Amino acid sequence: MAITAPSGGRPWTFYALAAIFVAYVIFLYGPMLCIYVLSFQGPEGALSFPMRGLSLHWFDELWTGGDTGDLAGAIGRSLVLAVLVMVLTVVLSFAAGMAFRADFPGSSWLFYLIIASLVVPGYVLGIGIGLMFQLLGWQTDWYSSALGAQLSWTLPFGLLIMFAVFGRFSRSYEEASRDLGAGPLQTLRLVVVPMLLPGIIAVALFGFTLSYDEFARTLQSVGSDNTVPIEIWSMTQNVTSPSIYALGTVTTALSFVVIGVALGSIALIQRRRQGATPL
Amino acid sequence: MNALSAAPKPGIAPAIGTVELAGIAKRYPNGTLAVNGIDLRIEGGTYCCLLGPSGCGKTTLLRMIAGHENPTDGEIRIDGMNVVGQSPRGRGTAMMFQSYALFPHLTVRDNVAFSLRVRGVARDARIAEADRVIEQVQLGALAERLPGQLSGGQQQRVALARAIITKPRVLLLDEPLSALDEFLRLQMRAELKDMQKSLGITFIHVTHTQLEAVAVADQVVVMAHGSVRQSADARGIYAEPHSAYVARFMGGQNVLVGRVEAFAAGTLTLSGAGGRTFLLRVRENEAKAGDTVTFAVRRDHILLMRAAMDGVAPPNCVTGSIRAIEYQGTFVKVTLAAGAATGGEFVAYLEEGGYFKTPFMVGETVACSWSADDAQVVAAD
Amino acid sequence: MLLARDDNTMGELDGGPAAVTPHCRRERSWSLSSLIMAIPLAIILLAFVVAPLISVVAVSVFRYDNFAVVPAFTFENYQSVLTSGLTLSLYLTMIKLAAVTWAATLVIGFLVAYFLVFHVRSKLIAIGLFLVCTVPFWTSNIIRMIAWLPLLGKQGAINAALMATGIIHQPLQFLLYSDFSVVVSYVNLFTIFMIVPIFNAMSRVDPALFEAAVDAGASRLQTMLLVVVPLAKSGIALGSVFVITLVMGDFYVVKIMSGGGAASVVSAMVDDISTLLFPHAAASAVVLLVVLTLLIAAIMRVVDIRRELVRDR
Repeated sequence: MAITAPSGGRPWTFYALAAIFVAYVIFLYGPMLCIYVLSFQGPEGALSFPMRGLSLHWFDELWTGGDTGDLAGAIGRSLVLAVLVMVLTVVLSFAAGMAFRADFPGSSWLFYLIIASLVVPGYVLGIGIGLMFQLLGWQTDWYSSALGAQLSWTLPFGLLIMFAVFGRFSRSYEEASRDLGAGPLQTLRLVVVPMLLPGIIAVALFGFTLSYDEFARTLQSVGSDNTVPIEIWSMTQNVTSPSIYALGTVTTALSFVVIGVALGSIALIQRRRQGATPL
Repeated sequence: MNALSAAPKPGIAPAIGTVELAGIAKRYPNGTLAVNGIDLRIEGGTYCCLLGPSGCGKTTLLRMIAGHENPTDGEIRIDGMNVVGQSPRGRGTAMMFQSYALFPHLTVRDNVAFSLRVRGVARDARIAEADRVIEQVQLGALAERLPGQLSGGQQQRVALARAIITKPRVLLLDEPLSALDEFLRLQMRAELKDMQKSLGITFIHVTHTQLEAVAVADQVVVMAHGSVRQSADARGIYAEPHSAYVARFMGGQNVLVGRVEAFAAGTLTLSGAGGRTFLLRVRENEAKAGDTVTFAVRRDHILLMRAAMDGVAPPNCVTGSIRAIEYQGTFVKVTLAAGAATGGEFVAYLEEGGYFKTPFMVGETVACSWSADDAQVVAAD
Repeated sequence: MLLARDDNTMGELDGGPAAVTPHCRRERSWSLSSLIMAIPLAIILLAFVVAPLISVVAVSVFRYDNFAVVPAFTFENYQSVLTSGLTLSLYLTMIKLAAVTWAATLVIGFLVAYFLVFHVRSKLIAIGLFLVCTVPFWTSNIIRMIAWLPLLGKQGAINAALMATGIIHQPLQFLLYSDFSVVVSYVNLFTIFMIVPIFNAMSRVDPALFEAAVDAGASRLQTMLLVVVPLAKSGIALGSVFVITLVMGDFYVVKIMSGGGAASVVSAMVDDISTLLFPHAAASAVVLLVVLTLLIAAIMRVVDIRRELVRDR
């Protein structure tokens, strides 16, 4: 698949592009890594280099200091919300992905609606949800309006992944299953879902992380209790100490755990299947 | 290295695409030897087929002649000049890819004109030239279409047109017919033959189908495991294989072994398993008494009859029970399980009309006999 | 492209003239089960995308009287938004930033995707590297944004490094709290949105096309421009749509990274909301949506997006 020179070696463009790629990865990760490093400063630490001291002081500050509001509560809410969004995204995207394998009235409209959900600026949608709840006389809350706002962001991603997954999935497996006597639900449970499990895990990963980090749409629709990104936002409004870096490290570490679990399980499944096409 | 040259350079011989391979070898970095020291000469203006099973190195050899891969050793001379290291355009070759590799975003006309465009030929000139070549392959009505809107046969013609517009000396075809259905395959191979005749350039065509090779080629090169086993005209390969491998691969011969008993007056007498005797006509003989000799017997010159229960078996005859009978339209293929001398299996192609006058059944014991003129010595593998 | 109809809907048509069939289902050209499976997602999106947008349009024609929003039908909000000089300057600023960001993400995204698809030999490694690029997307945007602060400032790491090596003697001012820092942040956050669609489009290119182009005499650059770019066109268009709408819809990157000095179209809305000027904010939102729709429609002429995303087996 790769471009090779007739002599079998790599053309000079390989090295040029590889250098660009490496530079991009450094550009991508560099700043984040700086934050993680700076969060481990001692009490004399400031917002920028050089590093002053080495301690867990600022992590301590997160829980005890006055900078952060109800951080523990926010983390709890964010996690619960992320799990809810993840489950709903998986179920609804999977169902809709199955739906799009055939024709149904309104399928074109639904498709464009999905694209629209992706490109509408998040904050505008947040305003809209807030206004809508106001007009209906309902109160905005993290478990209702914010949930819906986040779903409007995760469902399109989930569905697009499902399109890619189903696009590679041959119908012959389901036909073979029916041929052997399985009913539609059995086929779904015993053949389709297990085979598409890596893709489903990917949708779950997107659902969780996009919800956990979602900010623009949630800001206007969350009601009175904050989620973690909104806590971070209010901290940035008055950035005075590296405790915000500590928060960044904590929340990113959490994300990495989730990502690691998801990617790890996908890799495990693929390895056991020995050469099944990825996603 | 002049990647933009359109016409072949004037050489000692007239530029009609004579290809000479001298000691060509290809070893991959992981150690695999794909091509193992090949010397071959292909006359200019002829149709040559590289024939062999998968993995024999024929495609690698083709790609080295085309310039898409470099040999690790040896020389490739086109019209007398070593072209190793030159770009495909620079060496005057063009390739027709197995998957056609038509640019899906360009119309037929733009696909064909592509090589002119990258050379900087002006728009009007290249469109005119492209249209001319498109007419040559009889696709005039489809010049505006995209490849996705064409049938397999039509796509192949576009690929052909795209290659010949560059006026190559040698046209290289990588299994051009394997993507087509049977009917189209037969039709297109006749068209390829005609095209080669009218262009007058050298065609080198890679295939794994024996009958296809003998149908189109002036020269058939049978390959196995990276080497050339035999290179000859089609009739020579089919009727006079030099080795047991070629004999078996081409499918027209049975391969048997026997031990030398005597050689006198141009006839070699061999003894086979089960007390059989085989007589072959040979011009000269170096084998001594007791040596094992391998020989091939033509499948289509066999006489089949019900086995007699007599004591003495005549020479040039094997008996066995019929394992399978296959109708093939103009002939009937009868396969016998026939014992050790024959490697277990013996096949006869019987003329169809004659067969059905006295048909046989699976399981019957029959005797196959042939004349000494229809057998020849081959090298053991 | 949609696939053939669901098997479940095949019914039997009565053939004989006098025959009586107990049940005779008319053949539908669409699938009922599909419709049912798609409805839940459709409901959510209707409730949380369509209905909110309708609400925005509705409120944009309301009136704002004495700290209260009064239902009405007036165009005064639109008048205020469209005639304000601030609006124009904000749009010009955002369009400028969007254009620069688009150009940068396009170049970087194209080259990275090209590298991953055509130069990496092992498919496994290509996917691994692709994931390396994607992982930051799954972490917090805000954190990734403020991560630039310790790097770009006058006492930041970059200035420190440049001064230490003697390349400059005064810290560079423009690195932080400027258009430069805003664009750097955008490129950091949004290049992945270019990489993914272009990567997808390039993956579908038949590798044999490279050799066919070389065979025809094309140079490597000609091959890239005449073969790869046209075939990746749809990916480029899709990526462009994402990047441009993300930049135009941003309110926090531009605020933080410009040091609070600059504003964006959406950050003006944030200010309106914080002073409860909902109708005015709503009108701004509608104007922004119209502008974005026009932009997207223009870009979409280049590609059939449905064919691009719902891949045929």
